[in-house]
Amino acid sequence: MGNPKAFLTIDRKEAGYRPVHERKTDYGEVEQTLNNEDRMLQASRCMDCGVPFCHWACPLDNKMPEYNDLLYKGKWKQAWELLAETNDFPEFTGRICPALCEKSCVLNIQHSAITIRENEASLTERAFSEGWIRPKPPKKRTGKKVAIIGSGPAGLAVANNLNQIGYEVTVYEKAPQSGGLLRFGIPNFKLNKNIIDRRLALMESEGVRFVNHAEIGRTISFKEIQHSNDAICLCIGAGKPRDLPVEGREFAGIHFALDFLVQQNYKLAGIPLVGEELSAKGKHVLVIGGGDTGSDCVGTANRQGAVQVTQIELLPMPPTGENPLTPWPYWPNVLKNSTSHEEGCERYWSLTTKRFIGHDGRLKEVEIAEAEWVIDSATGRATMKETGKTNIIKADMVLLAMGFVYPEHEGLLDEIGVTYDNRGNISTDSRQSSSIKGIFAAGDAASGASLVVRAMASGKKAAQSIHSYLSEKS
Amino acid sequence: MHFALLFGYGASVINPYMAFAVLSDLVKNKEIQSDYETAEKNYIKSVNKGLLKVLSKMGISTLRSYRGAQIFEAIGISSNVLQRYFEGTTSKVEGITLEDIARDAILMHKQGFATDEPKGPVNEGIYTWRKNGELHAWNPETIARLQIATKTGSYDKYKEYVAAVDQKDHPIFLRDFLSYKATKQINIDKVEPASEIMKRFVTGAMSYGSISREAHEAMAMAMNFIGGKSNTGEGGEDPERYKPRADGLSTRSAVKQVASGRFGVTAEYLVNADEIQIKVAQGAKPGEGGQLPGYKVDQVIAKTRHSIPGISLISPPPHHDIYSIEDLAQLIFDLKNVNPAARISVKLVSESGVGTVAAGVAKAKADMILISGCEGGTGASPSSSIKHAGLPVEIGLAETQQTLVMNGLRGQIRLQTDGQLKTGRDIVISAMLGAEEFGFATSALIVLGCVMMRKCHLNTCPVGVATQNEALRKRFTGKYVYLVNFFNFLAEDVREHLAALGFTRLDDIVGRTDLLQFVQRSDNPKMKKLNFSKLLYMPETENRNAIRNIKPQIHEIQDVQDRTMIELAMPALEKQSPVQFTRDIRNTDRTVGAMLSGEIAKRYGNEGLPNDTINCTFKGSAGQSFGAFLSKGVTFRLEGDSNDYLGKSLSGGRIIVVPPTGSNFAPEDNIIAGNTLMYGATSGEVYINGQVGERFCVRNSGAIAVVEGAGDHCCEYMTGGRTVVLGKTGRNFAAGMSGGIAYVLDEGGNFDYFCNMQMVELTLVEDMADNRELRNLIAAHFRYTQSPKARHILENWNEYVEKFIRIIPIEYKKVLHDEKIEAVKKKIAQVEYDY
Repeated sequence: MGNPKAFLTIDRKEAGYRPVHERKTDYGEVEQTLNNEDRMLQASRCMDCGVPFCHWACPLDNKMPEYNDLLYKGKWKQAWELLAETNDFPEFTGRICPALCEKSCVLNIQHSAITIRENEASLTERAFSEGWIRPKPPKKRTGKKVAIIGSGPAGLAVANNLNQIGYEVTVYEKAPQSGGLLRFGIPNFKLNKNIIDRRLALMESEGVRFVNHAEIGRTISFKEIQHSNDAICLCIGAGKPRDLPVEGREFAGIHFALDFLVQQNYKLAGIPLVGEELSAKGKHVLVIGGGDTGSDCVGTANRQGAVQVTQIELLPMPPTGENPLTPWPYWPNVLKNSTSHEEGCERYWSLTTKRFIGHDGRLKEVEIAEAEWVIDSATGRATMKETGKTNIIKADMVLLAMGFVYPEHEGLLDEIGVTYDNRGNISTDSRQSSSIKGIFAAGDAASGASLVVRAMASGKKAAQSIHSYLSEKS
Repeated sequence: MHFALLFGYGASVINPYMAFAVLSDLVKNKEIQSDYETAEKNYIKSVNKGLLKVLSKMGISTLRSYRGAQIFEAIGISSNVLQRYFEGTTSKVEGITLEDIARDAILMHKQGFATDEPKGPVNEGIYTWRKNGELHAWNPETIARLQIATKTGSYDKYKEYVAAVDQKDHPIFLRDFLSYKATKQINIDKVEPASEIMKRFVTGAMSYGSISREAHEAMAMAMNFIGGKSNTGEGGEDPERYKPRADGLSTRSAVKQVASGRFGVTAEYLVNADEIQIKVAQGAKPGEGGQLPGYKVDQVIAKTRHSIPGISLISPPPHHDIYSIEDLAQLIFDLKNVNPAARISVKLVSESGVGTVAAGVAKAKADMILISGCEGGTGASPSSSIKHAGLPVEIGLAETQQTLVMNGLRGQIRLQTDGQLKTGRDIVISAMLGAEEFGFATSALIVLGCVMMRKCHLNTCPVGVATQNEALRKRFTGKYVYLVNFFNFLAEDVREHLAALGFTRLDDIVGRTDLLQFVQRSDNPKMKKLNFSKLLYMPETENRNAIRNIKPQIHEIQDVQDRTMIELAMPALEKQSPVQFTRDIRNTDRTVGAMLSGEIAKRYGNEGLPNDTINCTFKGSAGQSFGAFLSKGVTFRLEGDSNDYLGKSLSGGRIIVVPPTGSNFAPEDNIIAGNTLMYGATSGEVYINGQVGERFCVRNSGAIAVVEGAGDHCCEYMTGGRTVVLGKTGRNFAAGMSGGIAYVLDEGGNFDYFCNMQMVELTLVEDMADNRELRNLIAAHFRYTQSPKARHILENWNEYVEKFIRIIPIEYKKVLHDEKIEAVKKKIAQVEYDY
């Protein structure tokens, strides 16, 4: 609840970010933290709305009014316990969630939302440091086993929930370490990997088994997994990136964003690289795609020592501040300036890539064209039309950050034989079950590329469905 | 609420042992910073306060009277269970049986003892909304969709809002169990235009004071624009809003409400109305008076309510001039006289028995009756009112319709309804149940930005809707255009429904419950036990009584005295030249002076005419409401006596009452006028050479009165003005008095026995200024009435002044004191400046 009158006198105060010149030189987390008194003051701003839009917007159904009230009153432990009831990994969401809650906060109408995300991170870190988070293995085991394929936020959420109910859970991960995109997709400067390690260690001590270097369908057969488990949950994410098959695509220097980001994370973790080293050092980098992945590429490229970083986006520049088409309480489609952009980046919108220009098989320049979006008044659909203006951008490295289309079908999924929906994702019913009985799917693999928090919510739901399924089966 | 329920069904003692255990626990864990005894005492105190609120809502003064009174109604319990265990309580829609109750009890027990690891209680979303909690019709989806639809003006987005409302997963309202029996699609072009339908729309009564000026005016502008009506609510209206604006928009509220406090009810207020609404009850606060604490009464609100900033404004629970249906008929007659062009409506709430009340109101000649449902209603109510008071509008509306039709009263009445109406479907179903007009309050506020914060009572509304805080009002982003969009959409929505049903006019489906059927839903086995036959009953009437409004009421105001008086006073009305006349008066001449005052107010507003421009002398016995709403510039002299309600809502005029010439009894020993005089008077003077009945000067907001004896409850709820009683009073003097000053001649030396000391302070008349004020009042009284008692007092002033008691409310004293300090400060500042 907080103090219903606090918002009249106390302003929103963000913890802020480390100074640019300092943070650009390392991969440490860029966000700072507030002291406890300020944190509690920030929590006091919650007005205990009769209709808490924050709670509505959160995919995890977190209870913001309640835990912010407890935090404001100094009851950190109780606040933590309440938060943990709905949120499996608040240390992740507290750092990297785009905070749908804050966008829907009633105070966001005046752009001074409660600092819900930071409050969450604060609570979690305090809980860890005070030792309130202890391994809590389930009191009894059901005797049934579940295999989870993929150790990203969805897989981890399924694992955590099923383990707490009492199932024996094994998480299979094809990479050298578990964590999925949390570990290898998101740069360290947004989410430090020791945070992930800490959580994985906790889960292990509660009985969850993690098997890395294990690619089901290749290094371990699917049949084997099916045999030795009572249910399976597919959490392999939506890995297939969108490509840009224009003239010159074959030139060296053009890479998928994720390959670039993953490699940097491997380097930081001391994991030996596989394949060519993708480095932005000394290069003119062009990031194609204006989303969060693109922004991560910008930050990483700058840290690697790029000479110049440019980012282009196909859609028009969103309005700053407010967008009448996406008013409160909906997610606002407005211009986002990430910390990476502040570190150095030129951004352009409404540009489409015509062709890559190279020399000796290596990329030298990129030809781009201005695009106009024409909205059909009848259907509301927008179609792209080139205006005719073109330009050349100097680039010896291009990072394709244009989103992910669906999970990889070849290999595991085709082998299992699940059906796909009309977007290419694993088709699931309202209980997250795939077309094959006993095989469930959660996270991006079922919904298409989305947020960490949605993956976690999806995992929680799948866990409940698997539990019902297995309870009925016996 | 639990306590009230148990007491109401007859409990003598209640032991809330669980609550006490929780308190003990909280104290042990240091969650409460006091010892157990104090905590328990505070808890009991708060329960008592809550009970007091509930009791006073029903006008019941003691717990003894409430105990066993069983003034409850059940919704959704079968008559079997009720007859066996709650005999006397009714349920209009049947419902659960003993098996269901038992099953629920066992289920809850199981849930409570299910796990080994007990968790604390969870917020089930009963008051505030929670996902997976109690269903609320206004939830994030419906609020967001309505706002975006009306802001962007998109009918498609409005239809998305309609989908969220009409196609709920689970039923919330009784109307969610109803559907149309058949459809017969016709071309929508044949249906009457939206502009006609919108004339039936009104916004609910929300006073300026409860909501911000911006919100209040936006609603007025929108409703005036579309041909509907907005409502002032209880707090009066700034006359500035009656003036036409350059941009053609009007912020004048078409409906002026007359509530129990009679705040701001002057002749000017009433003549600037298209409809005058008597608020008998409020859906969310039935029978409850309101209270605006002194700190919320700022300059503007005080001015609009004809009071002073800083004084609490208390609305008494009942109207003090409505103690019977005849009294209501009298008030309707009063209002019709002061503004013959306005229609007079009465606001009732949905409850069992409202049909009978409505029949009485119809006979009392109201033009329109509003049946207000329990859903919706002000966020500033106590939670027991929000959740547990009032009934669903469907029940009250159906009962009213049936009763009026069966008694042949429906034809001359227009029926209006409100209570969380949201879409065309709600409107059409309400129409089929009997309504011809539809009110929107919560939805209108949501369109203007309300997000159901439920902090209306704290004055911290962050969207500037329900607050007076200047900084917060700046956050108000609502525009009247959004409301215009909303009502246009609603009208189109209604047209679509009418077209689907095969009707061209909304009038054709009014009262047609034969078009509706009860829909069995299978969400919950309990729902099978509902029975809507009472709700959907359509009376069989042999001579085909009207089922909707087909003719106007006959008010019988053609031949009142005022008609002639207005003709005689034309020179005064048109040219302000003085007129004088004498007339006979009988006790069948009621509300004399109101129509004349209305004519003055139309021309001259509250300013009225210069003093004494119209001077009438009446000889005889005056009927009810003599000199009601009397405007400034009119002097009525009555030689004879008067019935009740003399000087009701006095608006600046002067009334003098003296015994007939030639009478030889001592005027100061005899009663010469009736009860409840000067109810809601805002300015003016009354001099009565004799005694009066009960409730003299109740809700006086600024008039001067001198009388020679009074009954009980004199000066009740007074907020301004001066009252002088030159003789004995009854008991309970100054109850609820928060403003103004009274002087009583206490010859017996026992006045303090008769005075209610809760809000006032008694002193002698010591201050020179007070001495002068009192003397002048009595001198004026003598000048106008030649009162022997007054003469005697004036001739022996120094002896008598010591026998007077001065009664001043403590709040008022503080305000006067502050004003004095301000004046002194100003003087000092000037003096300093001069140096």
